[in-house]
Amino acid sequence: MATVLESPADLPPSPGGPPDADVPRRLGTRRAPADRAFRGVLRGGGISVLAIMSFVGIFLLARAWQALRVAGPSFLTTQDWEPDSHHFGIAAVIVGTLLIATVAVSFALPLSLGTALYISEYAPARLRRALVTLVDLMAAVPSVVFGLWGFFFLQGHLTDVARWLSTVFAWFPPLAVQGTDPRDPLSTVTVYTSSTFVAGLVVSLMITPIMTSIMREVFMQAPVGEREGALALGSTRWGMIRSVVLPYGAGGIIGGTMLGLGRALGETIAVYMIISPVFQVQWHVLQNGTNSVSSLIALRYGEASTFGMSALMAAGLTLFLLTLVVNFAASSIAARSRSGQGT
Amino acid sequence: MTRTRRLVASAIALAGLLAATLAAAPAQAASSYVPINGAGSSWSSNAIDQWRRNVQQYGMRVNYASTGSSDGRNQFKAGTVDFASTEIPYGITDGGVLDTLPTRGFAYMPIVAGGTAFMYNLQVGGRRVTNLRLSGDVLTKIFTGVITMWNDPTIAQDNPGLALPPRKIVPVVRSDGSGSTAQFTTWMAHEHQGDWDAYCRKAGRSTPCGTTSQFPTVAGKGFVSQPNSQGVAGYVAQTANVGTITYVEYSYALKTGYPVAKILNAAGYYAEPTASNVAVALLSARINTDKSSAAYLTQDLTRVYTSTDPRVYPLSSYSYVVVPTDNADGFTDAKGRTLGAFAYYFLCEGQQQAPVLGYSPLPINLVQAGLDQVRRIPGVQAQSVDIKGCHNPTFSSDGTNTLAKNAPQPSPCDKLGATQCSTGTGGAKGTTTPVGGGSKGSGGKGSGAAGGGTGTGTGSGGTGGGIGGAGTGAAGSGGGTGGALGADGSGGGTGAGTGTGVVAANYGGGPVACEADTGVCQNVVAEPVQTGAHATPAGQSLAMALGVGLLLLLVAGPPLVARVRKGAGA
Repeated sequence: MATVLESPADLPPSPGGPPDADVPRRLGTRRAPADRAFRGVLRGGGISVLAIMSFVGIFLLARAWQALRVAGPSFLTTQDWEPDSHHFGIAAVIVGTLLIATVAVSFALPLSLGTALYISEYAPARLRRALVTLVDLMAAVPSVVFGLWGFFFLQGHLTDVARWLSTVFAWFPPLAVQGTDPRDPLSTVTVYTSSTFVAGLVVSLMITPIMTSIMREVFMQAPVGEREGALALGSTRWGMIRSVVLPYGAGGIIGGTMLGLGRALGETIAVYMIISPVFQVQWHVLQNGTNSVSSLIALRYGEASTFGMSALMAAGLTLFLLTLVVNFAASSIAARSRSGQGT
Repeated sequence: MTRTRRLVASAIALAGLLAATLAAAPAQAASSYVPINGAGSSWSSNAIDQWRRNVQQYGMRVNYASTGSSDGRNQFKAGTVDFASTEIPYGITDGGVLDTLPTRGFAYMPIVAGGTAFMYNLQVGGRRVTNLRLSGDVLTKIFTGVITMWNDPTIAQDNPGLALPPRKIVPVVRSDGSGSTAQFTTWMAHEHQGDWDAYCRKAGRSTPCGTTSQFPTVAGKGFVSQPNSQGVAGYVAQTANVGTITYVEYSYALKTGYPVAKILNAAGYYAEPTASNVAVALLSARINTDKSSAAYLTQDLTRVYTSTDPRVYPLSSYSYVVVPTDNADGFTDAKGRTLGAFAYYFLCEGQQQAPVLGYSPLPINLVQAGLDQVRRIPGVQAQSVDIKGCHNPTFSSDGTNTLAKNAPQPSPCDKLGATQCSTGTGGAKGTTTPVGGGSKGSGGKGSGAAGGGTGTGTGSGGTGGGIGGAGTGAAGSGGGTGGALGADGSGGGTGAGTGTGVVAANYGGGPVACEADTGVCQNVVAEPVQTGAHATPAGQSLAMALGVGLLLLLVAGPPLVARVRKGAGA
C-alpha cells in the first residue's frame, strides 16, 4: 500500500523565480515493507537474468579468446574445422545453422498459423480444449525422441519427396541435388538423406508447439467488439479473421516465429542424430550433408583438446550472439507493429 | 458386515506388505553396491550393456554411456566417469595432438575380443546380397573414395559369382571420435599406407596419416558420416539405403540382421569375423606384458594383419576398460567395490555370452591378467576366482585356446579364386545368395572369339556355377558341351548341354539368366531392378488407408457436423 504524500516542504526551491510560480508539486511515495520487499525480489530477478546472460557471454568470450586470437578474422571465412592444426572457421557451420533454421521456420510458420487459427476461431469448445492439450503435449516430447523418429522413420519416407522436389525444381539452385540421376533407377537414395531438409523438417515439428501456443494466445485476445462489429457488417468468418484477428495478432505471429527461430538455431540433439556433418558451405538444401553450430559442439566437445575446446567455445559464442541479435530484432519488430495497430 | 470384512482384508494385505518389505530389507543391505558410471566405446557397448543388465540381479547399478572411445578416454581423464571403455590406449598422437595420459592412476583391462566388421546393404535384382567378399586392397580403396561403383572390376574379381549392379558405393563413416575408426585406420595405415596417405592429403591432413579416431572426410565424395556405432549401423540398416557399407563391430550386424563382408586374409581365404575366426586371429596379437609399463596389457596387432592361418579375420582386436587405481576424482572404495565385482563378473561368467552377442571371448592368459588387474582397483573385495568355473569357451586344461583350436577350417569356396560361397554372413546367415554369375565375363569373351560357342552358361541356381564359368567349352563348333561343365550337378545344366552353344553366341557380354531345370539360357536385356518404392509395402498401404480415411472425413464430416448441430439447436 503506497501512500501519496503532499508535503510543501518537499518542494524544490525555485531559484530566481517568483515564489508563487506555477510549479507542479512533487509526489513522493512511502511504500509498505511488503511492497518494498516484493519490488526488491522482482528487481533482483530482472538484474540476475541480465547478469547471468552477460556472465555466459563473458565466459564464452574468455574461453574462446585463445582460439579467436589464433584464427583472427579468418574464423568467419574458413569452412574447415581442424582446430588442432589451427585451420578452422565457422563459415560452413553458421550457414548450415541458418539454413536448417530457415527450413524449419518456413514449414512451422504455416503449420502453426493454421493450427492456432483453427483452435482459436473454428474449433468447437470441447475440441479446443483437447487440441490445446495435444499441442502442449507435443512441446513436452523430448528432442531425442524427435531425433530418433526423424532418423529411423521420417528420413526413409522423405527421400521420395526430396527426389520429386529436386527433379521438378532442378532449375532452382538450392533445391538441386548433385551426384544423382533421377532417371537411373540404380542411383542411390542416400544423397537425399541426412540433409538440411530432413533436419529442418524435424526441427520445424519441435518449434511448432511453442509458435502455436503464442499465436493462439494472441488471437484469442482479439477484441470481441471488433469481431462482432465485423460480423455485423456482413463479413464472413474468414473476412472477420482477415480484418480483425490477423492484424490484431500480427505482433504475436512475429514474436512467436522469432521465438521459434531462436529455438531452431539452437536445436542440438535431433539435428546431431540426423545430419551427416560436412565442413563445406552446402547450399543444396535437399542434398546429403550439412552442419550446425550446436550439433558441432555436441559432436566434438567430448574428445576436444584444450585448444579444440576453445575453438568450440568460439563457435558457441557466435551462436550466442546470433541468437541475441535474432531476439532483439524480434522484440523490436514486435514492439513496432503493436497489436491492434491495423484495426 | 461387509465393512468389517473389508477392514480385515485390508489389514491382512497391509501386514503382508510389511512382512515382504521387512524380508527384503536385509537382502538389500547385504549387497549394497554404490552405483558407478562409465562411458566410452560403442564398439563394445553391446557386450557391456548385456553384462550390466545381468548384474542388476546382484543389486549392482552400472551406468554406461556409449559415447565413443575418445569421449570415454577424455571423460576418464577429466574425472567425470568411474571407468572408461576404449579400443586404443592413451598416448597416441592423432592429427598432431598427443592424447596425454590421465593424471589419476589407471590400468587397462581387456574385456572382450571382436572383429571390426564391414556391414553393407546391397541388392541385386531385388534380392539382398549376403555373401560379398573383399580383399584388403579393395576395402581400402572403397573407404578412401578410389573405388566408387559396386560394379568395379576389382570388386568383381573378389566376387566371381556375383554380378553387381552399377550402383554408387556409399561409405558410411563415424562422425565422432571412435575406437572403431582407430582400429580400421591403424590397419589401413599398416597395410595400405599409400592409399590411406593419399586420401588424408586430400582431406587436408598431414601425412603420414597413421592411426586416427576421427575419420577424415573429403567433401563431395558421397561419404555419409553418422555419430556412434548405432548411428552408422542404423543408417546402413535402413532398407532404402542400398549401396551403403560401414565399419562397425560384428554384433551390430547380428543385431540389425544385415550381412558383413568376408575379408581376404594373408592365407588367401575370405573370412568372416565369427567368434572362432577372431580367436584364431588374436593368437598372433602381441600383448604388452611389462607390468611396470603404463601400457601394460595393450595390444599390438601388426602380426594379426599378416597371420597366415586360413581362418584368420584380419581386423580382429581386443577392447579394454580403463579402471582407476587410486581414489582420485571422486572415486571411492565403495565405488571400487562395485567396479571390482562387475569386473569379476564380466571377466569370468560374462565371457560365455560373448559369441552369442557377436564378440569373441578372452583367452585364458588375458582373463588371468585381467583378474590380477582387478586387485589394483581401490576398495575391491578381492576374490580368488577358479577359472575352470567360468565356462569360458576358450579354456582348456592344457592352456591352449580351445575355441581357436576347434575353429572350423574355411570352406573351399571361401578360397581366393573362381568360386564363391552362396551362404549368408553376419545377421543374414539364413539368406543365401545365388552365385554363378561367372558366365557373365567369360560369356562375353566367348562371343568375341569368332564362332562363339563356348558353353558358359550353367545352372544358376546351384552353388558351383563359377566352376562352369571357367569351363573350356572347346572350339567354336557350336554344339559344345557348354554348361554341362557344371560338374557338381546341382543345377540342371548337364542334360541340356547340347543346346547351349547356340545361345552362347548371343550373350554378347550382357547379363545371362539360365533356367535351372532345363539349362536354357537367355540373354537378359536389363537386370531386374527393385526401386525403393517397393521396399515398404506395409507402410504404403497404411498411408493409403490413412489417406482414404482422411478424405472421407473431409467429405462427409462437415455436413454431418452441420446436421448434428442443427438437430441440437432445434
